[in-house]
Amino acid sequence: MTVEFVNATFPIITISIVIPLIAAGLLFFLPERHAKPVSIITSIIVFIISTYMLFAYDYSTYKIQFYEKYTWIPYLGVSYEVGVDALSLTMVWLTALCFVAAFVWSTNIQKRIKEYFVSFLILEAACIGVFVSWDLVWFYIFWEAMLIPMFLIIGVWGYAERIYAATKFFIYTFFGSLFLLIGVIGMYIYQYMEKGILSTSYFDLLNLGLPFRLEVIFFLLLALGFAIKVPMWPFHTWLPAAHVQAPTAGSVILAAVLLKMGTYGFVRFSLPWFPEASKYFVPVMFALGVVAIIYTAMMALAQTHIKRLIAYSSVSHMGFVTIGTFALNMEGINGAIITMISHGFTSAALFLAAGYIYERVHSYEIKDLGGLARFMPVFATLFMISAMASAGLPGLSGFVGEFLSLVGTFKASILTAVLAGISLIVGAGYTLWLYHKAMFKEGELSSSKIERWEKLRDMNASEFLSFIPLVILMFVIGLYPAWWVRLLEKTSAAILSKFIGG
Amino acid sequence: MSVLQELVAGLGIPNFKVLIPEIIILITALIVFTIELLTKARFLITVVTALGLFLASIPSLTIEQGDITFYGLYVVDSFSLTFKFFLILSTFFVVIVLRPYLESKKTYYGEYYYLILFALLGMMIMVSSSNLITFYIGLELASITIYILAGMFKKDYLSKEGAFKYLILGGTGTAIISYGIALIYGRTGSFDFATVADSIVQGSLDVGAVAGIVLLIIGLGLKASSVPFHFWTPDAYQGAPTPITAFMAVAAKVATFAVILRVMVEAFPFAYEIWNLGWALLAAASMIFGNFVALKQDNVKRMLAYSSIAHSGYILAALAAPTDVAFTALIFYSLVYIFMGLGGFIFLSALERQHGWSNHIDDFRGLAKRYPMLALFMLIFMFSMLGIPPTVGFFGKLGIFLALIGSDIWWLAVVLVVMSIVSAGYYLRVVIYMYMHEPVSSARFNLSLGEAFTLAFMASVILILGIYPTVFLDMSQLLGNFLIQGVGR
Repeated sequence: MTVEFVNATFPIITISIVIPLIAAGLLFFLPERHAKPVSIITSIIVFIISTYMLFAYDYSTYKIQFYEKYTWIPYLGVSYEVGVDALSLTMVWLTALCFVAAFVWSTNIQKRIKEYFVSFLILEAACIGVFVSWDLVWFYIFWEAMLIPMFLIIGVWGYAERIYAATKFFIYTFFGSLFLLIGVIGMYIYQYMEKGILSTSYFDLLNLGLPFRLEVIFFLLLALGFAIKVPMWPFHTWLPAAHVQAPTAGSVILAAVLLKMGTYGFVRFSLPWFPEASKYFVPVMFALGVVAIIYTAMMALAQTHIKRLIAYSSVSHMGFVTIGTFALNMEGINGAIITMISHGFTSAALFLAAGYIYERVHSYEIKDLGGLARFMPVFATLFMISAMASAGLPGLSGFVGEFLSLVGTFKASILTAVLAGISLIVGAGYTLWLYHKAMFKEGELSSSKIERWEKLRDMNASEFLSFIPLVILMFVIGLYPAWWVRLLEKTSAAILSKFIGG
Repeated sequence: MSVLQELVAGLGIPNFKVLIPEIIILITALIVFTIELLTKARFLITVVTALGLFLASIPSLTIEQGDITFYGLYVVDSFSLTFKFFLILSTFFVVIVLRPYLESKKTYYGEYYYLILFALLGMMIMVSSSNLITFYIGLELASITIYILAGMFKKDYLSKEGAFKYLILGGTGTAIISYGIALIYGRTGSFDFATVADSIVQGSLDVGAVAGIVLLIIGLGLKASSVPFHFWTPDAYQGAPTPITAFMAVAAKVATFAVILRVMVEAFPFAYEIWNLGWALLAAASMIFGNFVALKQDNVKRMLAYSSIAHSGYILAALAAPTDVAFTALIFYSLVYIFMGLGGFIFLSALERQHGWSNHIDDFRGLAKRYPMLALFMLIFMFSMLGIPPTVGFFGKLGIFLALIGSDIWWLAVVLVVMSIVSAGYYLRVVIYMYMHEPVSSARFNLSLGEAFTLAFMASVILILGIYPTVFLDMSQLLGNFLIQGVGR
């Protein structure tokens, strides 16, 4: 498969990586009071750039657009190579959006403000970098560099068990990434031995023609790295800990952006690079996906902590992405990508909602809540929409992605689709249960609680502003998915070209 | 200059110009010795030493045409010049942070300065040797001065214990090396690397040659503090004055790595199967032992000592493969290790000057809150040692991975991966204590200009090389290619 490129006339992608870094560098030396405005403005600029790219992107053909390439380390054949196709672009756009929401929410932060925003800005640059890099060394640099700020965010601004959670997050991810690194180095060396090309470019590694045995080995090495990041069952145990302990904005980014890196890795690397191995491992991936969906949905049902519940639901949603991806057909891939986007919005919104509740009630325990809807009507409405989108109500974003994933999976394996479909009910169950317990159930409220609730204020401007774009987008995708499907169509076809001969 | 040159040429030393760096270091050492004897002017001694190092670094960069001199005993080529430059550079940083540290500990002696210079001279001779005797002389000059330096806290029991252990074990190492040299001489009839290489050709490996090589590996492994010959390292590193620890852990070690590479490749190019295996085993043992024991340390200085053993393992792992990629990786990692190692130890030396600082991990609590910049530097050093991009430690490990996987040595690559993960445990611990705990003491730190400059310099070099390692990689590759020509001629 040959890939065409459209060179950028203006290094727009590089700029969107560099701006947050420059802002972070500046903030380190500026007085503390500038931290919030500077970071919000930076994230908005990045968001505007990515929105511009989203609309300027020509989706009628499959070309890597806004493409830049500069030689970097000739000795190793490494170049700085960035560009976007529809998959990267939607991920970048999602990243930029979620960071705007995270920064706007973070105006409430009181503790060590400067370092907080510096960490988030560096994290933003690294996250965008992961999605736009086509050179594997750069991909790995961004992939790993992200660990440092995230480690600090969980560990410094988190809750009681934060250090344990941060360390667990770091070690798990580092473990996976090193195997990913070994896999990539193995392919790189194979390429050099067989073809005499020294290159770490994605497009060179794409046409390697690996023998099946090696394909399986490299697939497994890379899959380990991605699966931990996704996280797939049984590598998911770091996620609830990290989510529960992370500060709200950290949870938002973790759920909305970081988890997507794993599934992005599967779609971007595993499928096109290892077509035979991917086919070979379809049953395994389906099994893991279904186990993730059902098992973690059950786990979510049993949770009493809001964030832990949402964390388990994330693992469950990621299961849909996994089975959609490995259905290896157009519907499946499109569904997987749209689920990724949709889950970005819904999980971000749900974690924000959890953050608002905590700020008011100072508890994440569901039993401490109840009857909030009457006292915070605006919040209750937005929370309701997010919860419904997450549960997959038609008309909202969650439905489109999961439906397409299931259609794709149905074509590949009826049993998998049926099992995954059944668990949708469980999914609706825990979401509704959470909403019901937290927001309604007014009759069971004690009078002291009602007294406290009456003093609660509804959302303020910054909270509303960080929430509302996500909610609008849930409707946009849910009511008009055709635009997104069209955007992704050629890219999905290119990713699947080795399977369905497109 | 020309008169001098003729004079020296008359004595039978051709190409005297290539020796200028060594000569400057020697003269500076003698001047410092005299000043110390006569005046005790502390500032003057520091300035003269730093100036001498600075002057010596210039010719090490400008000499273009390398040559063999001293009747083939001494070789000045791009390999030795590069290492000399970096050795001088690291010594320079040790020298500029030394005085405030010693004064705060009330153990100032002028001897430090010329001893350091003599040790540096020994290392420079080491990396320039083309002959087993020159190599031996350089090694001994460096080792003996460092034994003294390690014990310079004359009233401190730990320092004396460390120095004594180092002396005994280092002496054993020397004895083993000299025995190895003797065996090789007996087998080949020559001390010269090239002649030895010609005599020990493939298929002619007999007991004498193999025993000689193995003894050399053991002795050099001891000097490079690789497991199981590492027992002196933690005590000597912990007991020595911290800037001296930095000097031992960085300059002396890097010189040892360079000389190991040089001896193995130039003297035994055909016996590579033996030394590949030998170094691979030592490297694996060092990685495993160093990392696991470091996990248990509460004293950060001792932890860094074990981490330095682990780093010996990472670097020596490259010697498991006789390829240019491996040599490049070894050279690159040793060069960038200078920055991480110096950064880590000089950070400790700067903080140790403050009252009540004991290098215990508890002292690190909440450092980031009170000194964000300092903590940021240490964070960079720790993540670089761990090998997380965008720090240069990542490229160091990447090079080793490339070398190992490229030569199909998967088992060692897997050991390296697993041990890197283990090492996360203790490097992260420092970061956790600095960033995630509340401060307990409110002691104030006043960094001297030299210390602040050194830390900032090391941290920025680590980040810059982490983003743009091209120049260093090209340089290492040049040297690696230069060495590989010898292997399998």
